[in-house]
Amino acid sequence: MERLAFILPIILAIGLSVSNAAAADLVVQVRTTAGAPVEDAVVTVYPASGGDTGPIHFDWPLRMSQQNIAFHPFVLIVPVGASVSFPNLDNVRHHVYSFSPTHQFELKLYGRDETRSVKFDKAGTVALGCNIHDKMAAFIKVVDTPYAAKTDANGNLVIHGLPPGQATLHLWRPYMKAPNNEITKVIASPADGQVSETFAVEIHPPAMMHSAF
Amino acid sequence: MFRFRRLRTKLTVLYASLFASVLLVMTGVVYSAIANNVGHVVRGELAASGTVFDRIWALRTNQLENGAGLLSRDFGFRSAIATHDAATIQSALDNQMTRLGADTAFLIAPDGAVTPVGDPGPVQRLSPATLAGLQSDGATAGVMMFDGAPYQAVSAPVMAPMPMGWVVFASKLDRGQLRSLESLSAIPLDASIVYRAAGGGWRDPAEGAASDSNAPLNAFVDAALKQAAPGPMPMSHGGERGIGLAKPLQSLDPNVPAVLLLRYPLARAMAPYQLMLGAMLLIGFGGIALLVFGSWALAKDVTRPLSALEDAAHRLQEGEQVLVGVDASDEIGRLAGRFNEMAAEIQSREQRITHLALHDADTDLPNRQSLEREIAALTRDAGEDHVFVAALGVDRFSHVRGAIGHTLFATLMGELGARIGLSEPQMRVARLSSATLAIAFTAADPGAALAKAEQVAKMLEAPLRLGENTVDVSLTAGLSGCAEDGSGVSSVIDRATIAVDQARDSRRRSAVFDAVAYGDPAANLSLMSEMRSSIEQGHMLLHHQPKFDLRQRAVVGCEALVRWTHPTRGLLAPDLFIGMAEETGHIRALTEWVLSQAIADQRAMAVVGRKIAVSVNISGRLLSDPEFAEVALALVEGADGEICFEITETAVIENPELALAIIDRFARAGVKVSIDDYGTGLSSLAYLKQIKANELKIDKSFIMALNESQRDALLVRSTIDLAHSLGLQVTAEGVETETSLALLSGMGCDLAQGYLIARPMPMGQFLGFLKSEPDAAMQAEPMPKPRVA
Repeated sequence: MERLAFILPIILAIGLSVSNAAAADLVVQVRTTAGAPVEDAVVTVYPASGGDTGPIHFDWPLRMSQQNIAFHPFVLIVPVGASVSFPNLDNVRHHVYSFSPTHQFELKLYGRDETRSVKFDKAGTVALGCNIHDKMAAFIKVVDTPYAAKTDANGNLVIHGLPPGQATLHLWRPYMKAPNNEITKVIASPADGQVSETFAVEIHPPAMMHSAF
Repeated sequence: MFRFRRLRTKLTVLYASLFASVLLVMTGVVYSAIANNVGHVVRGELAASGTVFDRIWALRTNQLENGAGLLSRDFGFRSAIATHDAATIQSALDNQMTRLGADTAFLIAPDGAVTPVGDPGPVQRLSPATLAGLQSDGATAGVMMFDGAPYQAVSAPVMAPMPMGWVVFASKLDRGQLRSLESLSAIPLDASIVYRAAGGGWRDPAEGAASDSNAPLNAFVDAALKQAAPGPMPMSHGGERGIGLAKPLQSLDPNVPAVLLLRYPLARAMAPYQLMLGAMLLIGFGGIALLVFGSWALAKDVTRPLSALEDAAHRLQEGEQVLVGVDASDEIGRLAGRFNEMAAEIQSREQRITHLALHDADTDLPNRQSLEREIAALTRDAGEDHVFVAALGVDRFSHVRGAIGHTLFATLMGELGARIGLSEPQMRVARLSSATLAIAFTAADPGAALAKAEQVAKMLEAPLRLGENTVDVSLTAGLSGCAEDGSGVSSVIDRATIAVDQARDSRRRSAVFDAVAYGDPAANLSLMSEMRSSIEQGHMLLHHQPKFDLRQRAVVGCEALVRWTHPTRGLLAPDLFIGMAEETGHIRALTEWVLSQAIADQRAMAVVGRKIAVSVNISGRLLSDPEFAEVALALVEGADGEICFEITETAVIENPELALAIIDRFARAGVKVSIDDYGTGLSSLAYLKQIKANELKIDKSFIMALNESQRDALLVRSTIDLAHSLGLQVTAEGVETETSLALLSGMGCDLAQGYLIARPMPMGQFLGFLKSEPDAAMQAEPMPKPRVA
């Protein structure tokens, strides 16, 4: 499993660079209205031309681990049909569940070093919680486009290989003040080079929730 | 300032108002202290109750929140929400609602859809703002207007972990809830939740009605909310004064703020003290009543002796005998004592004064005033016709007093009075003057009265022993009846006194007042003022009586006699006005007139051929008047014939040296001087020797009885001889009979004057007499009446 995780990004990078020579990089910067960088904001882009329709591969592990009574990562982007593993790295047990309509599931109490996996067949947002630890929360964004990424600690992300032409950009972030926590924007992608988008958003994490913000 | 008529009222009102003022101030202070304290206590209680309410509210909120939170985290419940299992959701809400004792519960989905427990109506009517308030990120609590009533509500989000909805539990804030809060307070306050109604006014759901009209409530809550830290404030509630505390409550709908209102009417706070204040007032009024009664009674004690004194003083003023009862030893008692002493002294002094006023100081006999009272009393009893007063005058008073001295004389009069008192106790005795006693008594008629008076006088004349001496007194009695007799002398005492004089004048021992003889002295006195004008107006005239020379058998002279024909009273007798003129000083003018008229008449007689001597009477008083002598001599110088001044011996006695000197002057001037009325006065041989007279006139009282009395004849003869031997001519007055004339002629008398020769006659008639009878004096008509005019 670990070996695979190392290999996949390499394959993806080679594939993108080889198969689509005429492509642009989308650079997105997300800030709060106050100017602080916003991490874990997910950008999904749907080019009007359809773009790459092959199987989607992301160069990060499809894994939602529980460690120190918290989910890691907070936001995980997975392609439709992917199976996500839920390793418990804590020495307490967790009861992971999701009541999200995208995919409802329940991983009843499992202990340390036990791994469960869940396959997500439908694109959408899956909010995760632990029935034992209320403050544990994480989100899995199931996407049906290869053009997806989340902002780093600096609030920046880059999506490579975006086909030229018009595209619809969705910016989603848990607790973002927007309908369904999502902002949609139509962008024009050049044939080559780079397109930059900057978003100033408001984030309202629930008071009782443990959050990075 | 109001003036009290009575000391008692004044004292009572003063004390009562003083006490009432003190009471009023005390009550005011106590009331204010109580009110202050009550306000303090109520404020404290309200503040404490507010804190208690906060705590209760927080506890309840906490309880509801816990319940809501519990449910919101329940996995099964969340599963039910996720699966849209409405029935399960409702039953879970209902179950938890019952557990919490809440009144309503519902679930709000993120899209605003509400799943109620029970009737969906009220939930659907929730205001959007309320819904928005409930859908908060975290748990929320506050006042929620639900179905038109305030509820205490909490909402808790259902997180999975994203919010799937909100569970809401709410308890109705009804009277029961508030009452339980009220019961926690030490004071019985009113707790209510008020909220801002649609109109902007504050509304108390317990009161039901729209509170737009409740202006005091609105003003109070608005004012309280403006304060940073609302504390208890005075307010008015339903018309009552009170203290209120408004505590703003968290409201889920910011447009409908809610306030907890704690109110406490002051009247209720004061209620426990009302009894005390009532008791105080009662005690106060009782005290005033007691004080009024007490000071009234006390004042009575004070004022009763004062009233008695006032009354006594009044009676003393009226002349009554007064004695104030003294039964106290205080100032008033001493005052009463002093008053009694004063009253007694005044009475004794009054008695003394009265005694002095009514008694003679020397003899202690009643005086004239006393007698007048007695007379008045007798007159009242017996009638004035039967009451008589007799004055008893001691004869030769000055001699007797001179002999025994004033003091003994007073004793004598006292003894005489006492003697009357002993023998005639029914008689009223008084001392009228030094030498006159008077008695008042009743008698049937004047005759009996006179007899009685004489009897008393006789009894008094009995010898009286005074110390070692025996004194004889003789008395003259004068009597008058009390009845008015028209004499003009109003006092019966005066009449009796005058009667004494009348008796003495007529040399009798007793007399009844003779009004006719008394005349009218007052009217006579007025004559004097008329005399001068009568002289000027010719009412005075001279009558002349001839003097007949017994040897020449002819009229050789005349005596001029003044007559006054008064315009209203007719002819007045000389006796009436001569004496008075002497007393009043008019005699000089009269005499001067007589002298000048006589000189004029003498000239008229000379005209008819008869130069005769004219005699003029000169009053003794004028002989001591040198000025008169000057005037008289000046007049005489102009006389055409012999003028003779007739004077009496007694005239010389008063001022012998001056009189004799003047007579000398007359004599040197050639005026003849005649001694008139010789024999009646003192007939002093010494004066006869000293007076340089030319003539002696023998008084008619000797002449008229000349032919009957041998003694008179002897006296006349020897007088004539005496006069002749002194070189005096002798004139006999009052010659009325031929016999007398013959006798006188035989005795060697020189001249005769009398009715036998002629009466005094007016000038005209006298001139006729002189003409017709130049030599025949004997033919003068004889006059039947012997009286001299």
